[in-house]
Amino acid sequence: MSKKLNFLMVLVLVLLVSTSAFASWKGTITLWDAPRWGNEDDDKFHWIKDKIAEFEASHPGVKIELVETPWAELGEKLSVAIAGRAWPDIVPVDISGAINRNHLEQGVVEPLDAFMTSEELEDFFPGALQAYTYHDKLYGIPMSMTVHVMLLNLDHFEEAGVEPPVDGRWTWDEFLEKAKALTFDSDGDGVIDKYGFSTYILQGYYEAWPFFYMDGAEPIVDGKFGFNSPEAISAIQKLVDLKLVHGAAPVEMGSSDVGGTFRALAREGERHVAIQPWNTWAIATVTGEGVNHLPNVMVAEYPSGDAGQPVTVGGAGGWVVMHQRDRQKLDVVVEFAKFLSTTEEQYTFATEYGTFPARKSAEALDPFADKPHMARAAQMVGQAVPLPEHPNWAQIDDRIQAELQLIFAGEKTVEQGMNDAAQQVQRLLR
Amino acid sequence: MLKNMKASQVGLGLIYLVLIIWAVISLIPLYWVFTTSIQQPEEVQIMPPRFIPSVISQYLPLKMSGQTERAQELVNGALESYRLLFQKTRISRWFLNSLMISLTATAGILFLDSMAAFSFAKKQFPGRDFLFWIMVGTMTIPGQVLLVPLFMVVRELGVVNTPWAILLPQLSMVFGVFLLRQFMLTVPSELMEAARIDGASEFGIYWRVMLPLAKPGLATLGILTFTSSWNSFLWPLIAVQKSEWFTLPVGLKTLQDQNLVNYGLLMSGAAVAAIPMIIVFLSFQQYFVKGLTLGGVKG
Amino acid sequence: MVNAPFSQDQEVVTMFKRMWKSRSGYLFILPKYILFTIFVLIPIIWSFFVSFQEYRIFGTEWVGLRNFQDAFQDDLFWVAVGNTLRYAAVVMPSTVIIALILATLIHPLRRGAQTFFRASFYLPTVASSVVIAMVWRWIFQTRYGIANYFLGLVGIEPINWLHSSAWALKSVIIMAVLTPPGVGIILYLAAMGSIPEDLYEAARIDGANRFVQWWRITLPLLKPTTLYLMIVSTIGSFQVFDQVMLMTQGGPGYATTTIVHRIYNVAFRDFQFGYAGAMSMLLFVAIITLAFVQSKLVSSDVEFKG
Repeated sequence: MSKKLNFLMVLVLVLLVSTSAFASWKGTITLWDAPRWGNEDDDKFHWIKDKIAEFEASHPGVKIELVETPWAELGEKLSVAIAGRAWPDIVPVDISGAINRNHLEQGVVEPLDAFMTSEELEDFFPGALQAYTYHDKLYGIPMSMTVHVMLLNLDHFEEAGVEPPVDGRWTWDEFLEKAKALTFDSDGDGVIDKYGFSTYILQGYYEAWPFFYMDGAEPIVDGKFGFNSPEAISAIQKLVDLKLVHGAAPVEMGSSDVGGTFRALAREGERHVAIQPWNTWAIATVTGEGVNHLPNVMVAEYPSGDAGQPVTVGGAGGWVVMHQRDRQKLDVVVEFAKFLSTTEEQYTFATEYGTFPARKSAEALDPFADKPHMARAAQMVGQAVPLPEHPNWAQIDDRIQAELQLIFAGEKTVEQGMNDAAQQVQRLLR
Repeated sequence: MLKNMKASQVGLGLIYLVLIIWAVISLIPLYWVFTTSIQQPEEVQIMPPRFIPSVISQYLPLKMSGQTERAQELVNGALESYRLLFQKTRISRWFLNSLMISLTATAGILFLDSMAAFSFAKKQFPGRDFLFWIMVGTMTIPGQVLLVPLFMVVRELGVVNTPWAILLPQLSMVFGVFLLRQFMLTVPSELMEAARIDGASEFGIYWRVMLPLAKPGLATLGILTFTSSWNSFLWPLIAVQKSEWFTLPVGLKTLQDQNLVNYGLLMSGAAVAAIPMIIVFLSFQQYFVKGLTLGGVKG
Repeated sequence: MVNAPFSQDQEVVTMFKRMWKSRSGYLFILPKYILFTIFVLIPIIWSFFVSFQEYRIFGTEWVGLRNFQDAFQDDLFWVAVGNTLRYAAVVMPSTVIIALILATLIHPLRRGAQTFFRASFYLPTVASSVVIAMVWRWIFQTRYGIANYFLGLVGIEPINWLHSSAWALKSVIIMAVLTPPGVGIILYLAAMGSIPEDLYEAARIDGANRFVQWWRITLPLLKPTTLYLMIVSTIGSFQVFDQVMLMTQGGPGYATTTIVHRIYNVAFRDFQFGYAGAMSMLLFVAIITLAFVQSKLVSSDVEFKG
């Protein structure tokens, strides 16, 4: 009886496998995407729509359903979708946020190593691949890379009579001197109303973090908390002193107000800060049209500290393929993900969307020939360090950033804050 | 006697003064939504804040002094946020979604809850009180806690990304059963007995006797349901992923996240969301009052 | 009672007979109860069970009371409890007291004036929490907010409202207190209207002044309303979430992290549904206990009859 059943099952299996070699999969693939750049009708999803149409035309029977989601909601919604085991097939995220290492360990994301030849992998920048690698497995196809850069409002520099850094390089001391000189009372009412520097601190955002790396510290070293080391405390202390001792930053610096911080740099009528670090998307915003257009802007590196080299925090964007029960469908989904991240598409993203290609071949096409700010930022990709890999990173990050907020509000000393963080983080690192 | 009257008039004047100041403070947020939405783009974030938008304070003077062009510019500037809102966002679609969902939820709740309340208030059956108190007991559990299991249920039913995902959980809320039951308890049972003797069916009694008598209660519940459905935020945010099915509050939240910078646009969106509520409240004020009183005092 | 074990017992048979006779009662509640079961009861039961489990995306694990232990050992849970209590300790009584004061002031006015003020105080509560939080964020801006503008007019230095531990929770509380308790005012006004006039007449003859009348007659007779409002606003303030999420995201540090905000983060950021479920259960028990104690306290008071 059971032998017969076994035989039948084997037969069915053989049949299934053999048919799969001939018949290609048919069905619906669900893709989430967020707004990219607009076309003449201001449709910010036109790129992905075109790609879907092309792919569907060459793959009869395959339908791709697009779910348009704003960037800000993507993480929360993906979290719920994963918790409810109702995820889409492809999503444009990295593996440090809504999808985290915990998910990878639970098998929510498909590893793609089997689908990539070594020649294919060779074309990607190592940093891009690293951002999608966990425990030696590749969990996504990198599309683009981003770094954090310093944006300088040169009109503010000129008004204060301060020279911008030569070629965008400076040491911490030079940076501090300039920030102090950029802080002044512009309308003569006896109240300081222009400031040298500002940034914000919020869970999941890392604009301020390269400063903390500048004396050689890292958040996690050999599985231990690293931001309470002497080199971390000295670096954090420098940035805290810039605000609290030298007064070269407004009181809002170090708060969680993202929008207010950006307006203080860029919005016409509200500009009062000369230097701010931002992710590279901001370059497109301040050089584009509208109330946030800065007429004279410069891209600079983070100042170098005791470690001698400037550092920035980098990230990568790309496509993640979610767990598939149907292996034949998986083939098609991966094929589509690859189709979206060819050299040509990455070049288009670089010129239109303002990201750095993850492929060397796309970089070789020189996408920033007429975009000097992006070209300058691209030079910083080599300075980028990735964020630590850890299944509990979201919680660790939450603890560190919460303490940083208190430190920059002047409510805790750097030692206090980081030692308090250390206690909690150490528990999460286990 | 005369002295007394004076004292009481002074007292009355004081009462008015306190109430007016308090009312002004209460209304400032809403006032600010509307004034910011019609401010000139450059007026939105300035110090000191401009409490009266220039389109209101300067339009007539400009017009009188013959500067028609300048006056027209002001009007254009004032409507700029709204123009952007309707051109660049899907606000009209969101508005329709909210309207459709809120109306359906209201109609559905009125029907379902009045039937259930009728049974709980006027019928005898084993387990009635137990079933009723289970329902009412769940009202103390915060909704946020149930987001994940609710999402799983909705997914099992296959309605994620459709308006049903927003609608069905709203139809399951129990407040209305509680409210209407309180109301129906006050309706004398003799009326129903009379209908029963005349040979009316149970549904006929509910439909022809109870519903007409429960009209004030139904009106109140209808308005409260409409308001809470229109304003509900967290669940629609999670249940619907496609922007074509966003409701107004969800759409507004995404605007807030995307347009880090444009307060005028945000406030015009907020105004579009708030206006229907204000109209509904002002036109049905007495039902709000009646119904709230029912649910509260006699509970 | 319905699921008593089946036997030939006479009682069970009569029970079923009675149920069958009153079937229309069940039919009327059936549609609502089906929806209620699917979308309310099942999720609640799930939350209850998951609080004894470690939820994983593929396959969950029973862990007994560990999630509850975790809650008691988690410093952030206690921070959240502290913040929630502080919020509730101010907001709960102030909603009731402000409603009482405003209703007392409005009640003697003429009809038209009554309607006007009732509308003015109710109107701000019909707008969505998203809209309200948006405006208050604007009001509390450090540099361009009107809160600091008005302080500046009387010579007070600008306050870093939403971004300092000292003020963030206070800002959220101020917003809650300044949003008028529209529902409470309406309820109190209705209750005041139903107090028979002759009670006051008798008091006046005894020479009681306005305040004494209010204290001796009005206040005691408003007790059911007061109790209702207390319970409702206790539930509301223990569940405070929207305002925090939209205004401060729980920060700076953990200065405005409330219990429900913590539950939300643990569930949706950390995916620890078991732990979130355990905290939800604790919150539920706390609310029920408080409501019970309140009703005991208020009704054990001296009995007043009209």
